[in-house]
Amino acid sequence: MAQNAVPLTAKPKKRKMGHLERKNTLVAFSFIAPNFIGFAIFTLIPVVMSVIMSLMESKTGAIFGAKWVGLANFEEIFNVAKVSGKIAEEGLLSGLTYFFNRVDLGIALKNTVFYTVVTVPLTLVCSICLALVLNRAVKGAVAFRAIFFFPYVASMVAICVCWNFMLMKDGPINQLLMSIGINFNKSWTADSTMAMWAIILVSVWRSMGYYMVIYLAALQGVPRELYEAATVDGANKWQQFWNITLPQLNPTTFFSSIMLIIGCFKIYDTVAIMTGGGPGRATKMLVTYIYDTAFVQFNYGKASAIAMVLLVIVLLVTVIQFSMEKKFSND
Amino acid sequence: MSGYKLKTVRKDNRAMQHVGKVFLYIVLIGLALFTLIPFVWMLSASLKLDREVFSFPMKWIPETFHWENYLVIWTKVPMLMFFRNTAIVALSVTLIQTLTSSFAAYAFAKLHFRGRDTLFLCYIATIAVPWQTYMIPQFIEMRAFGLYDNLQAIMVLQAFSAFGVFLMRQFYQGIPSELCEAARIDGLSEYGIWARIMLPLSKAAIATLVIFTFVGTWNDYMGPMIYLSHDSVKTVQVGLRRFIQENSSDYHLIMAASVVSLIPVSIVFLCLQKYFIEGIATSGLKG
Amino acid sequence: MKKLLALVLAAIMTLSVMSFAAAEGTTLTIVAWDVNTTGYLTAQKEAYEATHPGVTIEYIDVSSQDYDTKVAAMLAAGDSSDIYMVKDVPALMNWYDAGYAMNMNDYIAASNYDLSGYVGMEVNYNYNGEQVALPFRSDFWVLFYNKTLFDNAGVAYPTNDMTWEEYKEKAIALSGNGNYGTHNHTWLSACVNWAVCDGVNTLIDGEYSDLAYFYQLVQDLEDAGACMAYSEVTAAGLHYSGAFGNGNIAMLPMGYWYVATLINNIKDGNYNVSDWGIVAVPHKEDVKAGSTFGNLTGVMINKKATNADAAWDYIAWLCGEEGSKVTAGTGNRPAWVSEGVAKVMSSVEGFPQDENSVAALLPSYVAIEIPGDPNASAISSILGEEHSMIMTREISIEEGIEEMNERVQELLSK
Repeated sequence: MAQNAVPLTAKPKKRKMGHLERKNTLVAFSFIAPNFIGFAIFTLIPVVMSVIMSLMESKTGAIFGAKWVGLANFEEIFNVAKVSGKIAEEGLLSGLTYFFNRVDLGIALKNTVFYTVVTVPLTLVCSICLALVLNRAVKGAVAFRAIFFFPYVASMVAICVCWNFMLMKDGPINQLLMSIGINFNKSWTADSTMAMWAIILVSVWRSMGYYMVIYLAALQGVPRELYEAATVDGANKWQQFWNITLPQLNPTTFFSSIMLIIGCFKIYDTVAIMTGGGPGRATKMLVTYIYDTAFVQFNYGKASAIAMVLLVIVLLVTVIQFSMEKKFSND
Repeated sequence: MSGYKLKTVRKDNRAMQHVGKVFLYIVLIGLALFTLIPFVWMLSASLKLDREVFSFPMKWIPETFHWENYLVIWTKVPMLMFFRNTAIVALSVTLIQTLTSSFAAYAFAKLHFRGRDTLFLCYIATIAVPWQTYMIPQFIEMRAFGLYDNLQAIMVLQAFSAFGVFLMRQFYQGIPSELCEAARIDGLSEYGIWARIMLPLSKAAIATLVIFTFVGTWNDYMGPMIYLSHDSVKTVQVGLRRFIQENSSDYHLIMAASVVSLIPVSIVFLCLQKYFIEGIATSGLKG
Repeated sequence: MKKLLALVLAAIMTLSVMSFAAAEGTTLTIVAWDVNTTGYLTAQKEAYEATHPGVTIEYIDVSSQDYDTKVAAMLAAGDSSDIYMVKDVPALMNWYDAGYAMNMNDYIAASNYDLSGYVGMEVNYNYNGEQVALPFRSDFWVLFYNKTLFDNAGVAYPTNDMTWEEYKEKAIALSGNGNYGTHNHTWLSACVNWAVCDGVNTLIDGEYSDLAYFYQLVQDLEDAGACMAYSEVTAAGLHYSGAFGNGNIAMLPMGYWYVATLINNIKDGNYNVSDWGIVAVPHKEDVKAGSTFGNLTGVMINKKATNADAAWDYIAWLCGEEGSKVTAGTGNRPAWVSEGVAKVMSSVEGFPQDENSVAALLPSYVAIEIPGDPNASAISSILGEEHSMIMTREISIEEGIEEMNERVQELLSK
């Protein structure tokens, strides 16, 4: 393959694209174009507008007619005035406690992070296990797969109403718990602690089938020869799983964990229908806070500011995972 | 002597395997029941009268089976038209998404070009922004394009998502690059590589994307709710929510409509099942 | 793919043909919620079109749950529908702030429109002197009761002059054997809004100790088994309409709109209730009998309306005597108060004919549920959050009220 010869004389660090590289880039862009153009016009532009809106005050949700307020929205949602006052008077710990227990954004952040940290690993583990089991010649695998995927397919309203009913004080779930000795005499959604677990339960129940399907598809792509070679070498099932399957599934795990994290940070429907963010603010999440601020209080600038906080956190996590992925990637 | 020992060892192994298998089935069936119970409740509620749905104590099997609930939802609400609209949207979006996403994903996964990673991060970043935040600017823009109160609006909303690109990219990464290199040496263009090598090898991935896109579009409520005003273009989910009103919630009808809405998606899923069965030769490395 | 294209093209063509057909005469577009399931919208449309040939009314139907969201998007994008229905006062306040609502003062002056029929309630739609909407429904809260259950238990019916203590006694007396004396819907308005009936307290004044009495009342009722516990009701998503319709709840404080639902469901045979009545809600010792609170449902003209003049004509009809009679005929309570309207209301088929029920149609005083104020929505959210904490017994009533005071005062001080 012909390459452009690099001159021996001293050159500035950044060199112009060679002919081949330019051609490669053009070809690459031609692949991306169909999707990207539609995406840029209909999604990217509005997203950028909402980023800008976080620095403005808007009663309508449109940029036109909005007033520039700089960082005022951020000051408001972080309650900078009161929190910094507390830090100055009573110390950092006091200020942070106040933020995470009394300020709306702090509470929403705390709840959302807790929810994410619990739900993501749970869902991943469940879906990988299910996929592994149902990838083999288990009797009725097709039926089982369909059953586990079902929750994802049903309408959110119906699911949440069903689960609310099941988690009632004298409902089936509590009765089941009583039969194994745990007496929880309250409706899950009426209790500050359990309401969160109700949401987690429903989320895992709903998503594990979804990610199971993704892992099933990914398992199709693992070459059989690897397993055969390993068996010949005397590796047992556990070793094969750990050293072949899991690493082969890395791209899928990367995808699933990112989508799960984003999905968890963005959770809205389940919370809105099951608990409404309650009791009190026990299940107030970032997006329920955003929705309330935007569509009930008509404060779109503030809502965008909250969304920016969400975006920054998720991006950070994604970038970290991205750089870890590059280390392990096949390419 | 050794032959005898081998036999007992093998017998023990088989017994262990047997126990293991039984245990596995117990767990699977238990989990499946746990997964299905809400649906059983949904079905039972769909056959009751509104005031019976939440009665105490809980009746799993209704006294009288009110099958007429299923008729009512078709008459109270033009469900047939909604089904047709949703089908049109779901099919077109699935087609466009699958094509454009797998096309773009190839570039992100297998081609090297400047700005690849930044652009990709750009895609992911937009997934992270909640739709509620940019819904109004998007709505204003779409209206300016005339994309309001018609099915094209919904199609456009869903067809160019970052999700499809992300998903396909990950699957493509699992396909060894040596295949592409070999093809390049043979003189195949990038487009040829995509069509002749990547696509056939990612049947499971494509099936997955098809399922998810179809389900996602079928179940999408917010998009149709905001963009569609005339009954003639509304979709199933919007029709389903008609029974939740300010002054009374017809839960029996909501449940009946939910049960019905499940059917098309389940059919699609079951049809695409065959792409998930192990045994389809996907590696292609060996001869 | 070709078939798909053809289908889509056909859909577009059908739509455009339809819109052409409606172009003759004036078409008034009205954005409303639950068009097919609320009886009065169809009745109003038919009555107006019958007496005003040349005008066609076209509703844009939005699900009531998502009404605020969708309307926000439509108005932001410069929608040109003529009339928007107003669901609650804080929403209208926001539309006014955003510049979507048309000032009707000129129309009112030009047609010498008489606002007295609204007994002062129209001020809630008036901002900075601009009348930006007119009410066509005014739902005040009454006490529904199941006569059969009272008869069976041998308890005297509730009267139009009952204190909350007497109400509590009756509720407890009627409970047992699977029956509940009363039912508190989960909304804050259903539980403690009675505090504003004295005409002094409001929900936005930042001082909520007046709510303590009612929270205590509700908890006493729950503890005595006289009503379902809040946590049960929320978990089941149980709607008061189905609950009362089940026939095992003796009393239900609820908005007047429930009359229409009751009448229709009993007629269709869906409910287990046959003999019912209404009386005024109970009152505190120092509050006048017949005091209650209510909410308005109104209509506003979009500033970008295509047919503003025709829109005004419709609104004037709708919110005046004639439209109100049509609304009353469907079992709903119009905002326009007059004897003619009251007569229609009591003669609706299925409306209870006992003298108490008829008398309850004329409250002595109606406070607005939550006044129009820039902070109203934010305060509502805070109160709602603390409400659920108190009702689930996560915190005590005193703590809850303290929280409300603190959080709302902080908001107000900004």
